[in-house]
Amino acid sequence: MTREIAAGETVLAVENLGVRFGGLVALAGISFEVRAGEVASLIGPNGAGKTTAFNAITGFLTPSEGAIRYRDSRIEGLRPNEIADLGVVRTFQKTSVFAASSVFDNLLIGLHRRGGARLWEILLALPRVRAEEARLRAEAEEILDFVGLSARAGEPGGALPYGEQRLLEVAVALAARPSLLLLDEPVSGMNPVETASFMAMLGKIRARGITILLVEHDMRMVMGVSDRVVVLNQGAIIAEGTPEEIQANPEVIRAYLGHGADRRAVGRA
Amino acid sequence: MDRFLQHLLNALMLGGTYALLGIGLTMIFGIMRVVNFTHGELYTFGAYMVFFFAMTLSTNFFLALVFAMVLGVALGAAIEFVLLRPLRGASIDTTMLIMIGAWIALQNSEQLVWTGVAKSVIHPFPAEPVVLGPLSVSWIRIFVFCVAILLIVGAHLLIHRTRLGKAMRSTFQDRETAALMGVNINAIQTATFALGSGLAAAAGALLGPVFVLVPSMGDMAALKSFAIVILGGLGSFKGATLGGFMLALVEEMGAGYISSGYRDAMGFLIIIVVLIFRPTGLFARAERIG
Amino acid sequence: MNRWATWLWLAFLFSIPVWMTNQYYLYILINAGIFIIAAMSLNLLLGYTGQLSLGHVAFFGIGAYASALVSLGFDLEITDSYTFVFAPRPVWVGLLAGILVAGFFGWLVGRISFKIRGAYFVIVTISFAEVVRLVALNWIDLTEGPMALNNIPPLTLGIPGLWELTFWRKVPNYYLVLVTCILSYVVIARLVRSRLGRAMIALRENEPLAASVGIDVTRSLVLAAVVSAAMAGAAGGLYTHTIRIIDPDVFLFIYTVTMVIMVITGGKGTLAGPIVGGLIFGILPEVLREVASPEVQWVMYGLIMIAIVFFLPDGIVPALASWWRDRFGAGGGGAESQSEPGPGPEASGTVTDTMGERA
Repeated sequence: MTREIAAGETVLAVENLGVRFGGLVALAGISFEVRAGEVASLIGPNGAGKTTAFNAITGFLTPSEGAIRYRDSRIEGLRPNEIADLGVVRTFQKTSVFAASSVFDNLLIGLHRRGGARLWEILLALPRVRAEEARLRAEAEEILDFVGLSARAGEPGGALPYGEQRLLEVAVALAARPSLLLLDEPVSGMNPVETASFMAMLGKIRARGITILLVEHDMRMVMGVSDRVVVLNQGAIIAEGTPEEIQANPEVIRAYLGHGADRRAVGRA
Repeated sequence: MDRFLQHLLNALMLGGTYALLGIGLTMIFGIMRVVNFTHGELYTFGAYMVFFFAMTLSTNFFLALVFAMVLGVALGAAIEFVLLRPLRGASIDTTMLIMIGAWIALQNSEQLVWTGVAKSVIHPFPAEPVVLGPLSVSWIRIFVFCVAILLIVGAHLLIHRTRLGKAMRSTFQDRETAALMGVNINAIQTATFALGSGLAAAAGALLGPVFVLVPSMGDMAALKSFAIVILGGLGSFKGATLGGFMLALVEEMGAGYISSGYRDAMGFLIIIVVLIFRPTGLFARAERIG
Repeated sequence: MNRWATWLWLAFLFSIPVWMTNQYYLYILINAGIFIIAAMSLNLLLGYTGQLSLGHVAFFGIGAYASALVSLGFDLEITDSYTFVFAPRPVWVGLLAGILVAGFFGWLVGRISFKIRGAYFVIVTISFAEVVRLVALNWIDLTEGPMALNNIPPLTLGIPGLWELTFWRKVPNYYLVLVTCILSYVVIARLVRSRLGRAMIALRENEPLAASVGIDVTRSLVLAAVVSAAMAGAAGGLYTHTIRIIDPDVFLFIYTVTMVIMVITGGKGTLAGPIVGGLIFGILPEVLREVASPEVQWVMYGLIMIAIVFFLPDGIVPALASWWRDRFGAGGGGAESQSEPGPGPEASGTVTDTMGERA
């Protein structure tokens, strides 16, 4: 379907992306890139436009201007499911699972793209459909095992403790077989132990060849896992570079200070 | 041309009452986020109360109108208090199901009390129409139109000039902030529902003497109210007023120039067409989508 | 429920006409069965995709009219010089046409109305049903309007000349409805446990998340609408050929409300819910006929609906399932689901679905 992508090659290119709500400018023409196989982070004070950028990239809102390219396709203005079909899958800032469905069913729903049974085949219960179901179940079990939620398979997604719900979200996103995974504040609300194990899991996800774009407030985590960091402030990019460069950037420190954010949060990491 | 003008005049006369229906429903939706399926039953109730007072008890006709409207307000308050207050914060689908249940129960209660035989209210106006050149209109319709306009203006003033209205408007805009500002949300919602219901009962009380009364008359009234509100955009007072007149116009023209059988279909076609091309209604701002 | 219980149930249902000789009772069951099919079809939209469609009776009525017209034949004067003549076709062709036409309208309504949600969607669906009713009332050349279509033929099956059976009497009609019921159940059961059905449930539970993992929202909803409408059309077709007369009153909103009450009471989003609800509200009116006038009954049904939403919001089937589980442990549920008796309706919903799965 798609050609081989070498590590380090640009996969996601955001070009001059602008989003306005009425008269309010949420994003003022930002440009950045994400390269194959890396973990890139988008950081910035509250209201900087991080989630807006995520929403535009994943089709949850249509940009007012600019282009978004994923591999060889223009994706701005496509619907979320079309973008997911190209391999770009996201999680949400607020915990978002299929609360009434069992954890296992959450995974099966996430595996939607992995099946292809048609209505008439399903209604006739063709062997092909049964085989596909068996394959999907096996994949679901494999992913549950990967995130460590196998023991919870039968419980309703909404009944899990907070930290496990966040893991479930990632599992559902992984089930959609992303080549680029966008995580919106995945560890917010997690305790340090949970955060640490999440960071370990991020490494494993990356080892599967999945490129990651991260929005996160936890600077320790951002600086610990990222290859590159893009800093947004008031809808514009103010810095871009390796974690070390970002920590040394005076403008970044000023931006965080200017918004009353924790200065040590940047300095400490 | 004369025929056209006559249709226009008829539409104007009818539009006032339609606007009343629409305003009542749109207030309730805008402030409470409840799709009020009992709206048509309040209309029926208003009409039968006029019948009860004016015909059964032989009360003065105008007094009977007032009683009907007041009782409509009271019934609305009762419905809100019993059925909706315990369900604050429930999903719109849940309240919709409750209101459908209430509607079925109310309509069949009307049927039990008044039987299915059509009833008519005798009004004190002369049967001879007013003739203005080629146009003619009956006295009762002029009266109905004037009262409807008075009520619309009254409702407008209430919403824009009183403390209650101010509290309603702030609840409409942002319930949480309004609550923080000390607005008693529960009281506002009851008042809103009672007022909206009162307007529906008023429409029924006014149109009852023009047409005949049957217990199922509320169904069409409810569905037309939906059409009016959709036309104007859910939650918009001005939209509902204009929507009422527009629906009356479209119905009148449709009945006059296409086929009287499809008169009632006009409203629904409007709903479908408007929602396909402009889902927020003709006059609403985008942020009002429910 | 295990396989044995299922076969036992089926044997019981198939044996009914053998020992129940009272034709009136059979008539009640036939009617209830038709409504159960309609309620099951509504449940796909209302229960599984979570879309409160209140124009469902339109599909039922469209199926009924289409099937009746195809089997009766009709002519339409297109221009003064040309009249389109449609010769009568066998009833089974009519039934098939009813299903297809209703399915087509399901597609159309779905395409148009799934752009909007919530209150708007509800109102559009109601409006659609009302428009269809008014068309049936006023297009007298085609539908005879309020005079009704009469003498609609019953279904005839068999090989011409060798063996034929015409469904004049109650017993064959009972079997016809029963078999259609079972088929409808199997269709819904297979669908909701498939990839496509899971997509529908996903939309009910969390639409943005569903879209983010690649589920095409409109496509899933339209698919649900088509299947649901076609099934309602089948119910309408059965209705028209068993009752053998049809007028525009089939489109009355009250019938949609009846279906909604059946689904809500039985348990929306469960396989057994519409059957339980359909049996209760299909049989209750006949039981109460002697004691209470239709108006009194309807007042009751309205109040029952309110009470259910207040006190048993998930309906009877999930409530019974959770009672069963509390009483007898998880043994009644699926063995494969290791679910603890979790709190709230979510847990019971899961168990019910698992029960269905083994049926």
